[in-house]
Amino acid sequence: MSETITPRERVLKLFAGEKIDRPPCFSGMGNVTVEGLKKYGYKFAALHSDAKMLADAAASTYKLFGFECGVIPFDLCVEAEALGCEINVYAHLDDIVYPTIKRKLIHNEDEMDITVPSDLTSRGRIPLMQEAISIIKKDIGNEVAIGTYVLGPFTLAGQIMELNDLLKLSFKKPDKVGKLLDLLADAIIMIAKEYEKTGIDYITVREMGATSDVLSPRVFKNLIQPYLKKIFSELKVNNVLHICGKTNDIAGFMVESGAKAISVDQKNDVAETRKKIGSEALLFGNYDPYNVLVSGTTSLVKETMRKCIDNGVSAVWPGCDIWPTVPPENIKAMMEEVIK
Amino acid sequence: MATDEKRQEILDKLRNAVIQYDEDTAKEGAQEALDNGLEGNDAIFNGLVSGMEEVGRLFESQEYFVPELLMCADALYAGLDILKPHVKKMDLGVRGSVVIGTVEGDVHDIGKNIVKMMFDVAGFTVYDLGRDVPLDKFVEEQIKTDSDLVCLSAMMTTTMVGMKKVIDNLKAKNPNIKIMIGGAPVSQDIADKWGADGYAKDANNALKDAINMISSLKKMKEEAESKGG
Repeated sequence: MSETITPRERVLKLFAGEKIDRPPCFSGMGNVTVEGLKKYGYKFAALHSDAKMLADAAASTYKLFGFECGVIPFDLCVEAEALGCEINVYAHLDDIVYPTIKRKLIHNEDEMDITVPSDLTSRGRIPLMQEAISIIKKDIGNEVAIGTYVLGPFTLAGQIMELNDLLKLSFKKPDKVGKLLDLLADAIIMIAKEYEKTGIDYITVREMGATSDVLSPRVFKNLIQPYLKKIFSELKVNNVLHICGKTNDIAGFMVESGAKAISVDQKNDVAETRKKIGSEALLFGNYDPYNVLVSGTTSLVKETMRKCIDNGVSAVWPGCDIWPTVPPENIKAMMEEVIK
Repeated sequence: MATDEKRQEILDKLRNAVIQYDEDTAKEGAQEALDNGLEGNDAIFNGLVSGMEEVGRLFESQEYFVPELLMCADALYAGLDILKPHVKKMDLGVRGSVVIGTVEGDVHDIGKNIVKMMFDVAGFTVYDLGRDVPLDKFVEEQIKTDSDLVCLSAMMTTTMVGMKKVIDNLKAKNPNIKIMIGGAPVSQDIADKWGADGYAKDANNALKDAINMISSLKKMKEEAESKGG
């Protein structure tokens, strides 16, 4: 490779709005691979509670394939666990199964009046994530950008209470839901600020629960966007708002939320979104991490990456977590196509 | 017996109660249906389900979203709970049983519950395994209950792949078993590759697919009967 800047510099320039030679090929979501796990002999279920293993596994996708970032954690339960939920890491399984919430914090509408503990950031696995970030920073932090993620308030609410109840209440009692989201936005800000202290390069806020597959654009604007605005106005580090599923009708609202970049998946018509949000806005996306990257041929992979670029993405970036069984030849084909 | 006019009035009431997610009116309409001597089956299909079909259309045209869909389902169940004890078995001409659940690692069950609802209204015996169901449990339950259909749901890419294992195991044990898969990341392509018989990409499609499957099963049954009879 004869490129003159490091992948990290390229990502930082992109966030700074400077001109770069080509779009970076990275992600704000999990990207551990089976190949990476093999390299260290790690079991997926064991990663989530060990800082060194998290850091090794997260760095391996760069080391093996040149994927241009290191992202920790791999699961979506960190904030909910710190707030008091119990999680299941499926330690009894050899297959790759992502942790889920076993016991919710809120069991019915009357329990929604929660308080955020003042020592939230020393609870659950938040200190562990900080430690893992420090390790990976030392390991590959000079070469590639190091990122982390938090859930958006609505998605986090769906982790700590029954999604069924949350959805109905967001229609029947939006004030009550709004109050909870405001409180969760505060919790997310506390956690994100702790992560900022570790020197991460960017943070992704994953608010996939508010996709237009589930909520109307009107509800997004009235009930979701205000709390995203609150979060992004507090974050100093480079940041991304990710929502998967249908997002064409809310892409404008996503940009208005104040995130430095927005991230969408394969269901978004990116050419149309690019037109709508203008040429300056940072738009990351939008290849299908399973149907293209895992089960597609190398030529489909290359074709898809080219199409993402031609449609106007600012960075080539997956629609969700990279699924670990991604074939090495496909991830290599992706890197080749973006770098060429 | 109710006059045609009265019957239509009650059916419209049930239909609109579902569309307007009005549980109280659904209950009221169901009671009126019974009091006026309507067939339970008539009230369910031409009232409640007819309303749900309209809800499906509203969902498709993005006038309704998932919260509305869930509330409509609540209204449907409010009416169904009253009507169901009065439905004669075999009204639909379909006797069926189905095992349904969300695969291990996935705790999202909204899509699964919508599909389950359709089987409930169709008079199927539903073995609902819930969510986050260990993969072997689907096979065990199918064998134990000798069910005709197994429905698997996964909301996330990260859990979808577990479904392939279940399909392989089920087909190995019983090649005639019908399997329906659903959830946001699932595609027709995946259903074909993995050997599933049906696929539903979201709650609305699940609804339609379930209706289609029920009616095709009904048709198969009718054809078998006409040949036999």
